[in-house]
Amino acid sequence: MRGVPLALALTAAGGLVLATLPWLLSDFLLALALSCLMFAALAVSWSMFCGPTNYLSLATSAFFGLGAYVTAWGLESMPYGLTVLVGGLVGAAFAALIGLAVLHLRGAYFAVITFGLTELTLHSVTYIEKTYSNTAGRIISEAPENTVIYWTVLAVTLLAVATAILVRASRLGFALSGIGGDEERAQTLGVNTRRVKVIAFSLSAFFPGALGAAMAVRWTYIEPLSVFNPFIGFQTVLIAMVGGAHTLLGPIVSSVFFSLLTEFLRLRFPYAFLIVLGLLLVVLVLYLPGGLASLFVRRGRQHA
Amino acid sequence: MGFWLELAASGLITGGIYAVVAIGLNLQYGLMRIMNISHGEFLMLGAYLTWLAHTTLKINPIVLLPVVAIALFLLGVVVYRLCFRRIARAAPTVEVIEARSLLVGFGLMFLVQNTVNLIWGADLRGYSFMAEPVDIGGARFMANRLLVFGFAVAASLGLLALLRWTMIGKAVRAMMQSPTGAQLVGVDTGTLHPVVFGAGLALAGVAGGLLSMVYEISPSMGEPYTVTALIVITLGGLGSAIGSLLGGFLLGLVEAFGMHFTNPSLKMVLSYGVLVAVLVARPKGLFAR
Repeated sequence: MRGVPLALALTAAGGLVLATLPWLLSDFLLALALSCLMFAALAVSWSMFCGPTNYLSLATSAFFGLGAYVTAWGLESMPYGLTVLVGGLVGAAFAALIGLAVLHLRGAYFAVITFGLTELTLHSVTYIEKTYSNTAGRIISEAPENTVIYWTVLAVTLLAVATAILVRASRLGFALSGIGGDEERAQTLGVNTRRVKVIAFSLSAFFPGALGAAMAVRWTYIEPLSVFNPFIGFQTVLIAMVGGAHTLLGPIVSSVFFSLLTEFLRLRFPYAFLIVLGLLLVVLVLYLPGGLASLFVRRGRQHA
Repeated sequence: MGFWLELAASGLITGGIYAVVAIGLNLQYGLMRIMNISHGEFLMLGAYLTWLAHTTLKINPIVLLPVVAIALFLLGVVVYRLCFRRIARAAPTVEVIEARSLLVGFGLMFLVQNTVNLIWGADLRGYSFMAEPVDIGGARFMANRLLVFGFAVAASLGLLALLRWTMIGKAVRAMMQSPTGAQLVGVDTGTLHPVVFGAGLALAGVAGGLLSMVYEISPSMGEPYTVTALIVITLGGLGSAIGSLLGGFLLGLVEAFGMHFTNPSLKMVLSYGVLVAVLVARPKGLFAR
């Protein structure tokens, strides 16, 4: 594909600019930037698989939580960078495993089972920790500096965006779109749909796993309910779909939008904020079903 | 003997509530493919309405049940008109309806839950109603729980009878089998959809009213019931009302006995374990032919 080198170059340039932020921003603004990056990476990686295939996965929290627990369990024996890598690999391995078992389900069934699996993981981890370690949560004592965390999350985000660009232009990406359009037809045309789906689902789960591992050190106290919080998965889906899961830029733009909105309104008006968020969501889905990205696509077409 | 009876009964009582909530959700899904993730919030509204009317106006909560049902039915018709009708018309495929209705459901969830939070606060509320023990066959039950069980079963069976023997029930079943076919023989989607959506919310409201007689209520009480209802309808099969009834009781029993034989902190592991096992082995539900 022709646009790929350009898109990758733009990503790298954007990454370079963003990498200077720790010297420019205050601690508060840097934390805000970190949260934007995290949701951008989550939404982009979610859209990598779920956008073209029209699957609705609610398992993001499971991968994120597993990654966080890799850090909680392993930070004393591994360097921080390695826990992030291992967290990603654990997320990907777990996704491959559940993908093999449940990717034949579609639509609402898939949404429900991924949600169920997340909750099953959450409660299993809670139970294991209670029975074998006698703890409800874990304290992370030696956290790296905030700037290190920021650069790590930035690196994961850039990797996610670059992977998404490459996947969209590859045979894997075409196969995924084919599956989304008509799975049986894709199969007839020689796509090994099961293999393609498992590979892509697993690939897209690397990033939430790595992010969970990277972000875990931000909280000094880790417990299953906070890192496997289904809200992380919901919010990822919302951001991706509001932005337009079929596009690359849509989820990125809407993650910035959502993070800013959350940060500025939540602290001041906690309930009113969520009421507004709810209303906004309903109105957006009803009147802009293709996501924010469809605004630009439509305009682009008119010009052409 | 009395002990086992109590255990089974507690499973069935919880299961009865699960069944009522799940049947409502299942009707909405089966007929319109609306994945109404905010279903539990309307249960919560039903509970708050009952609590409010009982504590301020001193009305007997049993008398309030039909009032709550009618109020939530009307609310359901309005919610359908405002949100879901547009989705159903604009969406090109069934999968898109599912995805978009899920998102709107999330929106409604935030909206309703936090509005209640804003008005009444996050505290637990409750009142005492018929909280005296009754002895049956060597086992002791709280009178209010038996009452809740009775009403839950009556509401579920009433709805099943409605589906089975009335004209509107026939229309709903026809619609589930073949939407186009039903429209060809003169079933009016325009009235049937809001009515069924409203009926689903009415059932949720009744379940909430019943729950408020037994447990304390809070703005976040609805979510777990939404999740349980999702589990129940997958157990019983999407679109099957009788499957939901059986699935509800089954899940209630599994929870009660499972907790007894293993330990209470495994309750959620058990519910989700059952869900995952069923979905992997029999994705069309336990009772599918």
